[in-house]
Amino acid sequence: MSLTFDILLLLLLIVTALAVAWTKDLLAAAIIFSSYSLMMCLLWQHRGAPDVAMTEAAVGAGITTVLFLVAIGRTTRREK
Amino acid sequence: MKKALVAALLIIISIPMLIAVAAMPPHGDADSPVHTHVSARYIEHGEEEAGAENLVTGVLLNYRGLDTAGEVIVIFTALMAAFAVLITHPGRGEESGPTTAALDPEPGTEPESDSKAPPPISPVVSFMVRLLTPFTTLFAIYVILNGHVTPGGGFQGGAILGGMFIALTIVLGEDKVRTLLPRRAAPWMQGAAVFAFVAIGVIGAATTGYFLGYPTDASLHLVRELMMVVIEIGIGLGGAAIFATIFLQMEAE
Amino acid sequence: MLEALWNNVDYVASVVLFCIGLYIIIAKNNLIKKFLGLNIMETAVFAFIIALGVVDDGSPPIMGEGASGPFASPIPHALVLTGIVVAVSTTALALSLIIRIYRQCGTIEADELREME
Repeated sequence: MSLTFDILLLLLLIVTALAVAWTKDLLAAAIIFSSYSLMMCLLWQHRGAPDVAMTEAAVGAGITTVLFLVAIGRTTRREK
Repeated sequence: MKKALVAALLIIISIPMLIAVAAMPPHGDADSPVHTHVSARYIEHGEEEAGAENLVTGVLLNYRGLDTAGEVIVIFTALMAAFAVLITHPGRGEESGPTTAALDPEPGTEPESDSKAPPPISPVVSFMVRLLTPFTTLFAIYVILNGHVTPGGGFQGGAILGGMFIALTIVLGEDKVRTLLPRRAAPWMQGAAVFAFVAIGVIGAATTGYFLGYPTDASLHLVRELMMVVIEIGIGLGGAAIFATIFLQMEAE
Repeated sequence: MLEALWNNVDYVASVVLFCIGLYIIIAKNNLIKKFLGLNIMETAVFAFIIALGVVDDGSPPIMGEGASGPFASPIPHALVLTGIVVAVSTTALALSLIIRIYRQCGTIEADELREME
């Protein structure tokens, strides 16, 4: 059970990272990166690191994504 | 062509990495070098030596306190650098704008002009943010003050506070939220983490002879806990102010 | 070899994520995309370090009454906490620089910037 969950989570992480690479729309890429961070946070909580999981949820999925969104809003949304 | 080349290069790079990974001790092995030297001692004696039930906080604030002080200085430096990069000259703001079109080689690559006003915030989002604000603040304060007992600490609580501030800025507008970060107090709040570290470090140096030294006497464990909580509050307040200021500075035209 | 890789599946996933991040940094042209890739690389390294500190059937390194059993090593957790905060600092500075570049040059594509001088 636990191993299935792990493998599923790791596969989802790789899929979301590839989706960040493929997406042309930068706004969508930033949101996908946010979900990647949240899944990373789940993985670390599962690995017995609640401190780091909390930091990743607040900083990685929250602050970093907001900063990316602001930067995209101040520059351009399309990737050429 | 270029992408295929890069992908081939990365596969070549990843092969030695995978070979190294296969030769590592099995995942979760309790006899691997990570678990047998320093961390065994930390787990065994960390609670009475460092004075924190949460060993991660103990390592961050006591065993590796100087590292954390350096990290606090890193985010403070990042704030100052962001200020320096994004500074706008109030008198001559017109200069940078028109040059962009002349430099642009193709007409199709001109930056889109954001002439239309930003769309209004949905009432659902606005209501939910305002409803959740007190609870988020309470949770952030709990996380900051209990950093040495439960998971959490200054950075986590500071990031939650900063995120709440950013959400409020988006919903209410900058002018109303600015009262939470008044211009006079802002530099002191942004530097709160550094000030807390220096103050506690000097107090430690005066009493024990080492910078950031904590009293080791068992009867003084409340004093030690208080010193840790002061540092955590400083980190939380400073982190929240720094994240919020970087957001406001990037958001400003 | 394959069995060893299967036992260390966490490490293998970290290597794959690291390579994806490096691919984004090298192959993509947009500066914001490059920094998304850098963040993926950073999280991959953090995942590797966290996986080093795991013990089988371990509990989080939080003492107090009721805590028992093998504890995960607290040192990787503290290292990664420091790393995450430094990562967000670099990201904030880089995004500020990107906004400034866009204001001055009107583009954030690396090859267009290179032609511009």
